[in-house]
Amino acid sequence: MMVNVERLSYNFGSYWALKDISFTLEKGEFLFLTGHSGAGKTTLLRLLYGALPVSRGRASVAGFQLNHLRKRDIPKLRRKVGVVFQDFKILPERTVFDNVAMALEVRGIPRTHLERRVRAIIRALGLETRSYSLCERLSGGEQQRVAIARSMVANPELILADEPTGNLDVDLTMHLMEIFKQFHTYGTSVIMATHSTEVLECVPNARILHLQDGRITKDGDPLDDTPFDEDFEDDFDEEKP
Amino acid sequence: MIGPFLRLTLRGITDLRLHPFAQLLTLMAVAMVTLLTGLILLGVHNLDQELLKSRGRVEFQIYWKNGVEPAQVNAEWETIRAMDHLNAFKTFTPANALAELAASLGKTGDFSRLADDNPLPYSGLAAFAVPPEAQREGWAAALLSTLKELPGVDKVNYAPFQADLAQGWRTLTRTVIWPVLGFLGLVVALVVHNTIKLSLLTRMDEVEILALVGASPAYIRWPLLIGGLIQGILGAGLGIGLLVATHSAVADALNFPPFLIQLQFLPSSQLLILGGAVTFVSILSSWVAVK
Repeated sequence: MMVNVERLSYNFGSYWALKDISFTLEKGEFLFLTGHSGAGKTTLLRLLYGALPVSRGRASVAGFQLNHLRKRDIPKLRRKVGVVFQDFKILPERTVFDNVAMALEVRGIPRTHLERRVRAIIRALGLETRSYSLCERLSGGEQQRVAIARSMVANPELILADEPTGNLDVDLTMHLMEIFKQFHTYGTSVIMATHSTEVLECVPNARILHLQDGRITKDGDPLDDTPFDEDFEDDFDEEKP
Repeated sequence: MIGPFLRLTLRGITDLRLHPFAQLLTLMAVAMVTLLTGLILLGVHNLDQELLKSRGRVEFQIYWKNGVEPAQVNAEWETIRAMDHLNAFKTFTPANALAELAASLGKTGDFSRLADDNPLPYSGLAAFAVPPEAQREGWAAALLSTLKELPGVDKVNYAPFQADLAQGWRTLTRTVIWPVLGFLGLVVALVVHNTIKLSLLTRMDEVEILALVGASPAYIRWPLLIGGLIQGILGAGLGIGLLVATHSAVADALNFPPFLIQLQFLPSSQLLILGGAVTFVSILSSWVAVK
């Protein structure tokens, strides 16, 4: 099992961002997290990559028990988990190559191997002509591809993506979703937070976990044909760009 | 293992160019504090040397026992003449001493009646000039003991005032110098700490991204520690360079009568300690900043 969450809650002071949620994610599974802004999607992702401490409930990711995660184990967890953000989180004053290579450098991968891996992933994402361009000179779509390349270059077991297409137009969104799907077919598990129905439609057999006010209101099995409940559809109607 | 270590070290060095103005200001601040500390040390060192020189000039009035054979006295005078750092040794036989006494008293000093029954002993005035580098702990007492232990010697007189004055000064400088150096060390620590902290604040994105992709704390901190080390070494080097320049400009400032003092530069051991301490404080404050 890649992710196991049991009765997980998290609060910021008196505000409970997550309330008693439980779910599991098998290896190779694709899971969408949906819900309003403030529903708890980002908090859940941050808990899963060790940016927030798990204090109530239990959670494990890629074999790491997050309840008892020591500070020195956080880097080990993150080497098994790739993270992609809406705002890319890349270093604009460094080149595409340097940004992608960073994920392998911290693992101490030998230089020749590193260069081969980085060139391969850059080529796979269609950035080979931009390898030595500074990221600040790239378009939004290219920058997000750099971020995805960085998260995937080390072959993580799990990818956590927080609204990765939130700043991109429809064509770029479709293109990036094809990339995510491609990596998913290689066996990588994916948890992606999104508002977008277009994104959901890109992976029709993905499981959908709907959050509302910090609770799971729908856990859609890929084989479950039942339509979204009314609230769920309303959420999307409200938040469609 | 060595490859990533060297790469991170190199990154720490190349990252210094990322905030050149802040780095330059820190470098200047570290150099100025090093210069200030060096000037204080230089002043203390020269004052110390001057006092040690005067302290090293000690005179002993030596009296031999009555009835000692002249041959034995002569042998002991030779022993004294062979002693290290003896500057002058004026000797008096009883007859010489009587004549000297009579001469000093003028017309009233007629001691011819005592010529056959001279009560004065053999005596001598030994002046030593022990250089500062030879002034080991208790050197004056050791000299006194050596003289007193000569078999024919009855008593030895000396004025301990100079030695006590110099000792008092040394005690004072040792009491005052450490708080002053501690304060200056604190200034270096705060300056370097603030620069590294500033560097960290401006690189929060990079630190966050490195942490996200699984970089260990050591991987993130090492280049910053190297930055602190470089600041320490360059700042200390620049400060010592300025100290050398300042010294060569003022070395003869007091070299005229009546002072005739040639200002000496700090010994290399003190320079090494100064440079090492500034570098160490820089690394330490960088470590605290990135912790």
